[in-house]
Amino acid sequence: MRVVIGEDEALLRQGLQLVLEHAGHEVVAAAEDAPSVVALTEEHRPDLVVTDIRMPPGFTDEGLVAALTISREHADTAIVVLSQHVQRRYVTELLAERPAGIGYLLKQRIADIDTFSADLERVRAGGTVLDPEVVALLVARARRDDTGGQHLTPRQEEVLALMAQGRSNSWIARHLTLTEKAVVQHTSHIYSALGLPPRDDDHRRVLAVLHHLTR
Amino acid sequence: MKRPGVPPSDMTRSRVTPSPATRSTHLALVLLVVAVAMIAVLELVLGLDGATEPWHPVLFQLVAAVYLGAGVLAWWWRPSNRLGLIMVVGCGALLLGALGFTTVPVLIAVSTVGATMILAVMVHLLHAFPSGRLRGRLSRWTVLGGYAVSLVLQAPQYLFAPAPPPYHLLGVADRPALVTTGLFVQAAAGAVVMVVTTVLLVRRLRAADPPRRRVLAPLYSYGVVAVLFIPVSANVIRPLLDVPPETIGTAQLAVIGGVPLAFCLGLLRGGFARTGEVEELGAWLGGTGTARTTLVEALSRTLGDPTLQLVFWVPDTREYVDASGQPVDLPSVDGDRDVVTVDLDGRRVGAIVYDATLLGDPEPVRAAGRVIALAVDRERLTAQLRAGEQALRLSRERLVEAGDLERRRIAQNLHDGVQAELVVLGLDAQRIAADPAATPATVQAATALRAGIDVTAGELRRFVYGVMPAPLLERGLAAAAEDLVDHLPLRTRLEVSVDGQHLSSAVESTAYFVLAEGLTNAVRHAQARELAVRLAASDGTLLVEVGDDGVGGAHLNSGLGLRSLADRVDVLGGRLRLDSPAGGGTRLTAELPCAS
Repeated sequence: MRVVIGEDEALLRQGLQLVLEHAGHEVVAAAEDAPSVVALTEEHRPDLVVTDIRMPPGFTDEGLVAALTISREHADTAIVVLSQHVQRRYVTELLAERPAGIGYLLKQRIADIDTFSADLERVRAGGTVLDPEVVALLVARARRDDTGGQHLTPRQEEVLALMAQGRSNSWIARHLTLTEKAVVQHTSHIYSALGLPPRDDDHRRVLAVLHHLTR
Repeated sequence: MKRPGVPPSDMTRSRVTPSPATRSTHLALVLLVVAVAMIAVLELVLGLDGATEPWHPVLFQLVAAVYLGAGVLAWWWRPSNRLGLIMVVGCGALLLGALGFTTVPVLIAVSTVGATMILAVMVHLLHAFPSGRLRGRLSRWTVLGGYAVSLVLQAPQYLFAPAPPPYHLLGVADRPALVTTGLFVQAAAGAVVMVVTTVLLVRRLRAADPPRRRVLAPLYSYGVVAVLFIPVSANVIRPLLDVPPETIGTAQLAVIGGVPLAFCLGLLRGGFARTGEVEELGAWLGGTGTARTTLVEALSRTLGDPTLQLVFWVPDTREYVDASGQPVDLPSVDGDRDVVTVDLDGRRVGAIVYDATLLGDPEPVRAAGRVIALAVDRERLTAQLRAGEQALRLSRERLVEAGDLERRRIAQNLHDGVQAELVVLGLDAQRIAADPAATPATVQAATALRAGIDVTAGELRRFVYGVMPAPLLERGLAAAAEDLVDHLPLRTRLEVSVDGQHLSSAVESTAYFVLAEGLTNAVRHAQARELAVRLAASDGTLLVEVGDDGVGGAHLNSGLGLRSLADRVDVLGGRLRLDSPAGGGTRLTAELPCAS
């Protein structure tokens, strides 16, 4: 796929470019600041934009603002936002703008090349990928503020976290060395505990879970 | 804007008996009035004796009386101001001219010598208002020129004019041609004096502030027109329009008589208030009670300058400061404001800055300075203390700001440098692991290396968050508070009403650190079940509150964290309070001033 990169650190920009090219993608442009990310996306109409959040000119949240602009103006461009630190607020903002083709990952995930490449592919396919760290934060917060008494077992919480990250049942089964049937049992219990309607479609079930977690 | 006039009945005036010097001045003024009145009556008797128009000398004496009255009044009000003296001289000039109504040859001769002197006096008044002193060399020479024109260039009129005996006392020869030439020279020189005077007055008007300009402009205009009216009416209007000489004379007297009235009115209206006496300052110094005015108010009343400033000398920094300790620049020497230093036992303690256009003579200012020197020294110490206090506060503020800046710099450097490099190192490790030529042992080691780098990156991320959290840098206080609460293990109520408010970075980080410290303590020590965080900005104050339902019993002094936080809050001019009764929960509150 054709990719536009937004990253102000030269080392990281090159590293990212290498990873993407190694995975067989074409980096059509690399921006060093947030306004250029928007401009280059406008110019090249890439399949995917991968951008850092804290970038020039202000070194605050310019990259996120650029990502929100792109998701509004280019519905068919997938976006993956990278950051050194993940916040719940950014998840809400990204999903509120466009709940499909969105990824939000810690920068250090780049180094796990295979997983990172797979995540990019899933986002490109219209999926939602969230960093395990931010999902863990969401799950912990939901458990902390939970007053309804819908208790989940530790195993079910593990499954919930992976669901929220955007993983499929087969992936979760492989990852937790369970049978797929056991995973389906867990998910249906989670749905009833959280008061969510059961979902077949991977993407829609991620959104349902996230909706519950970020409320 | 109206200049604050000084009501004469205020302060200590009614309680102070005039000093011997003042009493003798008043006595002298009364004697002066009596003496001049006697001369006027004598002149009148002599004049009426031979006058064809009896009301003419009477009118002349009346105008002279107006000058005398206005002059004595001004003198009485402002003993150190020479404006009164000049008006009394004007009265003298008029009395000199009135001698011409008599039939005594000697007196008539004297009157011809001083016939036009009143014009010079009027020019003098214009230049000397309001201080009574002539400011600048050009002003002094012009006034001197005026007197020369009226007294010296008058000479041909009595030296060469044909006169029948016994009125030829001063005549040396009958030369009508010389008289005409002399008249022309006198008129030309007089015109030069008036042109220079007008230019000077216009320049002064330009330099004056608007309220004073409103007083000076009509006064100057009337004065210049009055001076010009006399020769123009006599030499142009009369021959041209064939007006009877009596009518011209009456009009001239009316115009001349208006001048002292105008100047007196100007003194009263323009905030050129009455000056008090230095003794009043003494009474002020001895006074007590809450109703006592400030030193600078007392001083400005005494000297009659509402714009007067009192500044204090700080020897350490070798600069002047005002009462609040702020450094003050003294005005330059050639401006409209002047400075008199106040010394005590040979050392400088302060200075009085006053309006030089109002107080022409620095001597009364110096005298007042000597009287109040001790009080100035006392107030100087207060001002110096305030200046020191302010310097201390500023330096503490700078320390906190420098600390914050350093934290931000460290966080940014780690973010841009080490954190990015760790990602790249992880990438390298992964690439080695993925190399088809790598042995299984190498693959295992490289994978372990990448996992180790991942853990280190996570630790570094938490460390950077503690130094200066990313949400604070990226989104400000509200986002940072939300993120902080998100990471807490206890249920926490968050109430934020600061969105849209601009907070300085010092206030934001201080508020954040109060929150972080309060929440950390609550989680660690309070044994609480639920926490509450409140951020609210209103009326220029940011309220930061962390509450819990735990065991209480916490103290501000119990840890270094809270103590240094209290310092931080104090530096910003805020307050940190800890309310923690045993068994009653804990509430940490910070109030920080913030420009809204």
